[in-house]
Amino acid sequence: MQRVMHIAIAVVVGLALAYGGMSPASGAPAPTRGGTLVIAQGTDATTLDGHMYTDSPTASIMEHMVEPLFNFTPEGRIEPKLATAFTVSPDGRTWTIRLRTGVRFHDGTPFNAEAVKFNLERVLNPDTRAPWRFLIDRITSVTAVDDSTVRLVTNAPFAPMIAHLAHSGTGIQSPTAIRRLGADYSRSPVGTGPFRFKEWVRGDRVAMTRFDDYWGDKALLDEVVFRAIPEDGARVLAMEGGSVHVAVRVPPRDIERLERIPAVRVDRTTSVRTIFVAFNTQRPPFNDRRVRQAFNYAVNKSAIVGRSSPPTGALAGTARISDAPIAPNVQGYSPIRTYDADLDRARALLAEAGHARGLTVTFHHPTGRYVRDAEISAGIQALLRRVGVEARLVTMEFGTYVATLRGPKAIDEIQMSMLGWGTITGDADYGLYALFHSSQWPPQFNTAFYKNERVDALLEQGRTTMDQSARNRIYREAMTIIMDDAPWLFLHSESQVTGIRAEAQDVIVHPTERIVATKAWIRR
Amino acid sequence: MWAYIAKRLLLAVPVMLGVAFIVFAMVRLIPGDPAMVIAGQAATPDYIAAIRRDLGLDRPVVVQFGVYLTKMAQGDLGRSIRSHAPVWEELWARLPNTIQLAAASMAVATFVGVGAGIISAVRPYSLVDAAVMVIALTGLSIPIFWSGLMMILVFSVILGWFPSFGTGSLAHLVLPSVTLGMTSAAIIARMTRSSMLEVLRTDYIRTARAKGQVEGIVIGRHAFKNALIPVITVIGLQTGILLSGAVLTESVFAWPGVGRLLVEGILTRDYPVVQGAVLVVALTFVMVNLLVDILYAAVDPRIHYR
Repeated sequence: MQRVMHIAIAVVVGLALAYGGMSPASGAPAPTRGGTLVIAQGTDATTLDGHMYTDSPTASIMEHMVEPLFNFTPEGRIEPKLATAFTVSPDGRTWTIRLRTGVRFHDGTPFNAEAVKFNLERVLNPDTRAPWRFLIDRITSVTAVDDSTVRLVTNAPFAPMIAHLAHSGTGIQSPTAIRRLGADYSRSPVGTGPFRFKEWVRGDRVAMTRFDDYWGDKALLDEVVFRAIPEDGARVLAMEGGSVHVAVRVPPRDIERLERIPAVRVDRTTSVRTIFVAFNTQRPPFNDRRVRQAFNYAVNKSAIVGRSSPPTGALAGTARISDAPIAPNVQGYSPIRTYDADLDRARALLAEAGHARGLTVTFHHPTGRYVRDAEISAGIQALLRRVGVEARLVTMEFGTYVATLRGPKAIDEIQMSMLGWGTITGDADYGLYALFHSSQWPPQFNTAFYKNERVDALLEQGRTTMDQSARNRIYREAMTIIMDDAPWLFLHSESQVTGIRAEAQDVIVHPTERIVATKAWIRR
Repeated sequence: MWAYIAKRLLLAVPVMLGVAFIVFAMVRLIPGDPAMVIAGQAATPDYIAAIRRDLGLDRPVVVQFGVYLTKMAQGDLGRSIRSHAPVWEELWARLPNTIQLAAASMAVATFVGVGAGIISAVRPYSLVDAAVMVIALTGLSIPIFWSGLMMILVFSVILGWFPSFGTGSLAHLVLPSVTLGMTSAAIIARMTRSSMLEVLRTDYIRTARAKGQVEGIVIGRHAFKNALIPVITVIGLQTGILLSGAVLTESVFAWPGVGRLLVEGILTRDYPVVQGAVLVVALTFVMVNLLVDILYAAVDPRIHYR
């Protein structure tokens, strides 16, 4: 009996410790200033020029130092940041943006309309080679109306403009520093963010310190350090051992174990990245909608996504089955439908399409790019076998893979191919236009070679309609047609699984695969 | 001797040219367009074409190779496609780490390997010998990503003695150098043992013992020095391998060395970085080999170079 009591006490104490670590709510200590937060990512920064990166580990780092005009919140809203308000002309082509006053860059340069003009023109200049130029390339002129107002004119009405100005690739950096440092600027960034750059040790870490003259709520941490630990297991162990506070991309198999450790919590945030298999809708057998739908009914998505405890499926519950071509948290999303596993229906549809005796297809997929991509592909292969489909897997390293998918022979050689797409602007336009509009066939990313005139018209309308609720209706109709037409085998949105130590409070895992520690603090 | 060294250094030039050509051809034979890889999911065809122009990838391969050689002769290895920084700078940031790790691992490997080998050879076919050789074989067979993680788990997470990743202090060096050194120690121990056994069977050892020489001196001075040549060869080869970047160890311990730079370069099709890193690795191999050959002469007076 005494032993039972001991165990009971141990369990209660354990639970108390675990929950104490998790909830900052009732009775939790007030945020304290000071300390260094260490965040471990899989790779180091590629560059520290906020206009030049393409990868999300670098985006996480830049987020703390350089700010865009608008901000995409974790809840999926677009709110002002360095801007305070905007108006758009009735023809949808002239945008007047009011800027925050009294803001300074880390080097003392004042933030004003001229700085915004300099930055947007730098991104727009083709010679800069800014990878995110396409986000704002409809802008034909940027004018500084007065010190705190800029006016943008676009060549056509473009509704996602404000969402695109919330992307960190269009962040505002110090014109003085960029002019003075030239090519060396990519090693010592200067922005307006709550942290200023301290040092970059190549391949190892980027460190930044609190900027005490920040215009908004000042950061609580003294310092934030981003470290590169490429090996998943080592990254998780470093977090367990306490030498880092946050470990990104926790492997699904480690979740159950980590959740039993009181000093650690596991954060699951649905990312804006959708994983799918595109069917080549221009060539047999996938030019027949019935075959595409049959594949959707044949593949049991629940079996792939699985559950976390006990861990099942390839993803151990770390994903959300797609009910639309874009993920929730994206402006314009609404749940449309899912294809729940129905083998009889799949067989019937295949028979109707003339494949009663089975079908052999080739299935291209990458390895090591998306969470368990190769395992998921093998799972799809096994699930398809149950309806008489033999899928031959072609596995490729990602660099080779993308070149193949976007190559000139793709239309004749690729039958079905797995891909992931992050709607990083948080606006449905970027997640739908690029993937389903018929002008976007490879080398662009409409890898299904999908063409539907109604969808084309709707996607164009979504771009030029300024009223958001009207846009939501337009996208809803487009997505309903797409889901029914099934140019994809709709799979899931990835969850970002992040291990965070209990003492690290208010660390935000953003749906755009960024870790945000601007408001974080360390509990003592 | 100096003439020999000069000759060897001159011979390294065609070797390096050959390496440069092979790497240059190889990175271009892998399918995948670096412009497309760096441009990311967002890239428009215009942007990709502009990057290809920047990189000179739109010119004939022969012209590209010519430009590359000319620049290399001027000491310019180009700029990284990914970070836009000069390749030299990228290599320079990581080379000291690689050298540090290789030197520490080699120290561990030589000390443990030679020691274990001698102990085994002195008592051949004994329990000690069997134990040492089993441990050596185990050390060779365990993959580094597993032994590395176990080292982190025990010495960093549970005991908290050493940091588990990154660089900065001597303590940072302990876990990676021991993990990496142990594999080489196993190879060196086996080589030392067999070489020592061979020497210990020779007549002059029997003579030394017959004249009443102390066993320690027989082993240390008479036997070991003569058993050293093959051991040096193995140590040299291992050093070359360690210096070329112990990719797995660098990944597990997040050690920012040349090996990791090379792998990341391959994955992102960063041609200039891959070319630069391979050149450095090849140069290291050539230099270490030369050093080993010079060491032979120092150890064995019968060896002369002309």
